[in-house]
Amino acid sequence: MSQYKIIFTGPVGAGKTTAIQAISDVPLIKTDATPSDMTKLRKPSTTVAMDYGIVNLADGEKIHLYGTPGQERFDFMWDILTTGGIGLVLLLDNTRADPYKDMWFFLDAFKKYIAETSVAIGITQMDISNKPTIADYHDQLQISDLNPPIFAVDARVKNDVSLLVQSLLYSLDPILAE
Amino acid sequence: MFVPDKDECHKTAKHQTAMRLDEKSFHNYIGAIEDFDVNDPTQFINAHYQPKNYYQGCFQAAFAESQILMLQTNWSPIILFPRTHEVWFDGDDLELRELAERPLNHKTLKTEMAVVPEDLSTMNIAGTLDKIQNMDAFLWKLACWASKGRYPESIEYNLPVYLKSWPNFTRLLITPHALRIAALLIQRPRSMGNLAQALDIKPQYVFVFISAAHAIGLVDQARRTADNLVQPPDMPPSKDQKLLGQLIGKLRGNEA
Repeated sequence: MSQYKIIFTGPVGAGKTTAIQAISDVPLIKTDATPSDMTKLRKPSTTVAMDYGIVNLADGEKIHLYGTPGQERFDFMWDILTTGGIGLVLLLDNTRADPYKDMWFFLDAFKKYIAETSVAIGITQMDISNKPTIADYHDQLQISDLNPPIFAVDARVKNDVSLLVQSLLYSLDPILAE
Repeated sequence: MFVPDKDECHKTAKHQTAMRLDEKSFHNYIGAIEDFDVNDPTQFINAHYQPKNYYQGCFQAAFAESQILMLQTNWSPIILFPRTHEVWFDGDDLELRELAERPLNHKTLKTEMAVVPEDLSTMNIAGTLDKIQNMDAFLWKLACWASKGRYPESIEYNLPVYLKSWPNFTRLLITPHALRIAALLIQRPRSMGNLAQALDIKPQYVFVFISAAHAIGLVDQARRTADNLVQPPDMPPSKDQKLLGQLIGKLRGNEA
């Protein structure tokens, strides 16, 4: 049986763990630790290795959901996690100091993986900070050859996360039947 | 230090998750068009409507203004905030649908609707921020109801259209097959007939998507000659089509 994976990435506090939790069929396996760096200002615990969830399909196949740690010093994990993956979900926190910088950083870090698969971008915390807008993010991307789905996402809401993942899958193959 | 926008937190309607219509619920929600058979291919070329003959056109014109405007009709008043791209509306979708689907009588329009400039300093909507909607989400709905499965007259049926960027689907009314249409159209311009054929769906689902996306400026006719002459090849079907299809089915079953 093949290993099918969807990778969730993004900066610290963007909602990766929560988003995986929203659509996983099993309780999340988390590798949390108390942060010792600037992360402690944003949240009391943070992912240090990876988060892991599963979506079970009817014929026994499983889709594995992996969340990368947000801090750059764990970037050696990212290559290991992406090998053989279906696509990338990038979550960005709109309340961070420079969400564009975050976006470019992760798009660059996963450039090869995105070229081989696809990416969908979710912007979280838009109910707390409404700028940049979704249109602003699309404008930013005009200088690249990417035109991915970019949705406002509340990572706690299953419907939001589900639509973002669906857009990733349709980006891979629009003919997929509904 | 980041300071949260306290007003934004109270604009709950603006941040609510999408409503999704399947083919069955679409007809209940959008309604049917009289004197038009959506199953007759010979009628597709005439299946258009004029947005300016509906409130959709009035709102689009008003949104283009730079000042705050109140639209007074026989229904609840609607206040437009162009700078923040927001709409204040003290009514429900049922009321809005009645307004949107009603053809305008241009002779009596001036007596039926008044457009009044508003002053933010004298306005008191602080306690009703939950009635604020995003302008795109509001216009998208109006266009769906005015269209009822037709396309805007300014779009040529046989010529390709392009999609500038993906609509923000988590905050919009999702019409049947809308995500698939967007995924296919974002790859390259296509005619509406080609989209329906490639996805094996009724053209009316393409028409309503095109109407809504055109209303918020995401879709337009591809005017460059190159778009009609040079067509990049379609992406090959995914080798994991069956599995991805199963995952889509599972996710859709999971939707709240």
